[in-house]
Amino acid sequence: MYAPTAGRFDEVVDGDGRVRAEWEPVMREIGSFDRRVLAERQHQADRLIEAEGAGHLVHEIALERPDVAGVRGMNTRLQARSRPWRLDAVPFVIAAADFQRLAGAVAQRARAIEALLADCYGPRRLVAEGLIPAAMLYELAAFRPVAGGPGAVHRWLIHYAVDLVRDATGAWRVVQDLTDAPNGLGYALLNRSVSARVWRHGLRACGAAAINDQADLLRQALSAASPLMQTSPRTVVLTPGPGDSTYVEHSYLAARLGFHLVESGDVVMRRGRLWLRAIEGLEPIDVVYRRVADASLDPLEPHHSALGNGIPGVVWGARAGGVALGNGFGSGLAESSELTALLAVAADRLLGEHLQLDAYQPGMELATSPVFATSPVFATSEDRAGPDDERTWTAMRSHAVTLRLQAVHRAGGPGDGERDGYVVMSGGTGRVLADDDPPSRPTVQVVKDVWVLGDSGNAAPVTINRPPQVDFSSSVPKRAADALYWLGRAAERAEVAARAARVVGSQLHQDPLLIDSSVVAFGALALLASAAGASAPNPADGPIDNPQLTEALRATTVAAAAQIGSLVREASSVGEYLSATTGRVLGRLEALGSRLAVADAPDDDLDAVLADLAALSGLAMESIVRGPAWRFLDLGRRIERTLAVLGEIEASLGVASSPNELQPLAEMVLSANESLVAYRRRYRSDVDLHAVLALLLHDDANPRSLAFQLDRLREHVAGLAWSTGSDLVAEAAIRSLDTVGRTVVGGRRVEMDALVLAVRQPVLELTEAIARRWFADPINPTAMRGR
Amino acid sequence: MARFQVVHRTEYRYAQTMTDGFTTTHLLPRATLSQTVESATITVDPQPDELDHTVDQFGNSVMQFAVHRPHDRLSIESLIWVSVADPSVADPSGDGTITAGAALVTWEEVRAAAAAATDDLALELGPFLAHSGLTPRLGELAALVDPVFGSNRGMVEAVAELGHRIFGEFRFDPGFTDVATPLGDVLAARRGVCQDFAHVAAAALRSTGLPARYVSGYIETLPAPGQPKLVGADASHAWCSVWAGPLGWLDFDPTNDQMPPQCHVTVGWGRDYLDVAPVRGVVIGPGGEQTLTVSVDVMELNP
Repeated sequence: MYAPTAGRFDEVVDGDGRVRAEWEPVMREIGSFDRRVLAERQHQADRLIEAEGAGHLVHEIALERPDVAGVRGMNTRLQARSRPWRLDAVPFVIAAADFQRLAGAVAQRARAIEALLADCYGPRRLVAEGLIPAAMLYELAAFRPVAGGPGAVHRWLIHYAVDLVRDATGAWRVVQDLTDAPNGLGYALLNRSVSARVWRHGLRACGAAAINDQADLLRQALSAASPLMQTSPRTVVLTPGPGDSTYVEHSYLAARLGFHLVESGDVVMRRGRLWLRAIEGLEPIDVVYRRVADASLDPLEPHHSALGNGIPGVVWGARAGGVALGNGFGSGLAESSELTALLAVAADRLLGEHLQLDAYQPGMELATSPVFATSPVFATSEDRAGPDDERTWTAMRSHAVTLRLQAVHRAGGPGDGERDGYVVMSGGTGRVLADDDPPSRPTVQVVKDVWVLGDSGNAAPVTINRPPQVDFSSSVPKRAADALYWLGRAAERAEVAARAARVVGSQLHQDPLLIDSSVVAFGALALLASAAGASAPNPADGPIDNPQLTEALRATTVAAAAQIGSLVREASSVGEYLSATTGRVLGRLEALGSRLAVADAPDDDLDAVLADLAALSGLAMESIVRGPAWRFLDLGRRIERTLAVLGEIEASLGVASSPNELQPLAEMVLSANESLVAYRRRYRSDVDLHAVLALLLHDDANPRSLAFQLDRLREHVAGLAWSTGSDLVAEAAIRSLDTVGRTVVGGRRVEMDALVLAVRQPVLELTEAIARRWFADPINPTAMRGR
Repeated sequence: MARFQVVHRTEYRYAQTMTDGFTTTHLLPRATLSQTVESATITVDPQPDELDHTVDQFGNSVMQFAVHRPHDRLSIESLIWVSVADPSVADPSGDGTITAGAALVTWEEVRAAAAAATDDLALELGPFLAHSGLTPRLGELAALVDPVFGSNRGMVEAVAELGHRIFGEFRFDPGFTDVATPLGDVLAARRGVCQDFAHVAAAALRSTGLPARYVSGYIETLPAPGQPKLVGADASHAWCSVWAGPLGWLDFDPTNDQMPPQCHVTVGWGRDYLDVAPVRGVVIGPGGEQTLTVSVDVMELNP
């Protein structure tokens, strides 16, 4: 059971030791903290969170794009650091009547901050009256005088969030305001979608208020900010990029709102408007929902802190009315504690209202809540006890919780009788605090879904206009196309490496004597090197021994792991193009990849990797609309497979071999291309070199053949209406038809080597041409030197 | 009364071709109580694709423009004609409105008046009471300020001595600082250029509770016969302006130890350099080297 801390307000148990009325339906659902029920739900929540969100992001994996013929000339080393979190099995419950009062106070606070910002950037009445010391205001780094003046923002806060705690007496207090680029709305929606699956009908049985409308409200509020007053403005979500700790939320919100997720390099200001750099050209953007803070928004502004993230000229464009920013540039001012301290004065003077919420004072004792996920048995993800583990008996802990509520502006319509104001989401997130945590900085990565339960009285339902959405599906930002292309290439490379390691490994286990033939051993080693992207072995180095092959096997497995890292990393920046199921597969691949990278991987792990990669390619074929985004993903995959089959033929069949030696070599190459079974069914004979080549090069019914890849490439470049690409693919196809004779020089089949080289060259040219035509766009903003 | 012509050329050359460039300039002079702008034009090459002329919150004239075509150089040339009233300490604005005895005000009286300001005066003085990134509140300022601002000392006399001390204690050294050099380094090394000395003066005054502006502008290039050539010519110049209560704003130039300045053309003012940087910009392109060439020519015209 649960024993609250004596003498402090507790969310569940009242002063007389009775369970509060709003908790009764929840207690029925979970059998008054029945450990088995909670443990089961905790497991499920952990799994779902991993699959839904955090699983998308890798930790500290460097992204290495292969340097193809010097085209990119650089490796993109980025590091993503996501903070995995856990959703507690026990929600945070607020009685509807209590919540209505709280929501009213939060909405009032949002209005007061809006008025304060409008005054500080406008007439500065409070300064003139001496209520705000001018020197204090102008000394705040967050105060950006350039944000004011004529043509300035007509609304500062479109989205506002606030952190609250209940003190030991049960009164709500404000910990901090979030006005710059407030986060948590996406996390709240994401957590709720997990709750809904963990609790199933229980969520409805308890009567928890729905929160889905908030996303629609946000979309509506952003649309309303559009400077051009269109019926269907185009809005984008601006993110600092996958390196940002809240990127999961940006990606999730963009997908949920149906907006493009853009990084600074995806857009450019021209002629007073903001444009998306799409693969087919520039497309106008009306509203930016910025997840980039004031300090990093525009490198043209003074006091800009991080050159890489911003959009040069966007503040100028917003002031001139060409693009709207939500929230307005300069809104971060209201996060300054010096100014917050004067909010009550501002509310009194500017709104004529008494501010309802008091501030939290450091050191105050706080109310407590029951928490399940922090119990010793559940403290770490490595040590999660099962429902039958006796240790779960002591599971419930008592913690203070910081609540984050979200408010979105809603314009009062002329006819609907509703007032202009802020709508507070009937839910949110609660962050569990460790004993010594200040409420603004929780150290425990455990959150609670916030439920508003009970009769909400006379709360009016919010009406939401759903403006028609602009179809962005045909416009893909160049960066996204780039990432999808490299995602396709990395996936294929991972598969090639994993399959080569698997095939050579099992040949070696089945027939250790293979190594006795120096030609076969050399071919096997060359096959591994080709698959791993390593340099080919040199025949002059003498016979290959067993440790050498084992080492190469290991290196190829590590290469597969590295490619998995790259593909997960690329995928993390284009999550909104991939299905939720894809997220799950990526999460599993990431885990498998790290196993491959560290230990001697059992064949089983390689098989599991191959199965997951197959799942990924199946999802790419079956669950992505056949638009340009898909085309670039598949283009990458096909190019890589073309290069792989050529490389493997060169490595293992280019070596002159006796019929006895050809047999194992050809079988390895056929297996590595999943064509051995097809070969046996078709030829029912010993291995014949020309039959093998026919199947691998020219059989357009074999999905692993060169001809099949070239057919797909032809379709893709035709779909892009791109003549340079068409010419290069046609050139490769013509060259692939050269006959392969039997001339041997220096131990190599020279005609085969010539054919591989001849076909590879236009394909490599194609990769360069793709980068130049579709992606290459130097977009580094550089400050012009001063003085 | 004197008339001046200023030609200010700024040229950037980029090692690689840029696709877009955004520039914000504080190059057009503002009218002041003692300065009349007869003519001011800016020529940009290549021709900007968009151009915007606004006034910032300190009343300065701001011109922003952008180039959206491939370009590997950008040149900005401003041509200014202004006439400036003969300044004097007793009547800094030169408009004859100052009451007799105003110059006898003590610095404590000015400080008290600034602190008690309300309404429009509070809005006017407020920004210049605040320390800023380039004029931070530093303990090291005390060594400069304490000997100057003695009890009941006359405002004009104290400010003149502050300018004199900065002139005497700091060495003009263009190689020592750049736009990003922190004030602490300038104070420690006692070296810098006019921008640094203007920051030192403004920070020192604000640390005593006196409102002080950073002023950006030019001084005449050619010295009068028999006079040494003034430092800061051939480049944009900066000095300081302090609010002196009944006297209004009183300019002084610590780089040349002049109060009031004798042959200065005012462009604009702010809390520090960043508020009124003559040219600030961002280019989008492959990156790489850029070179900057600046030249300023100021000459006195016949009245």
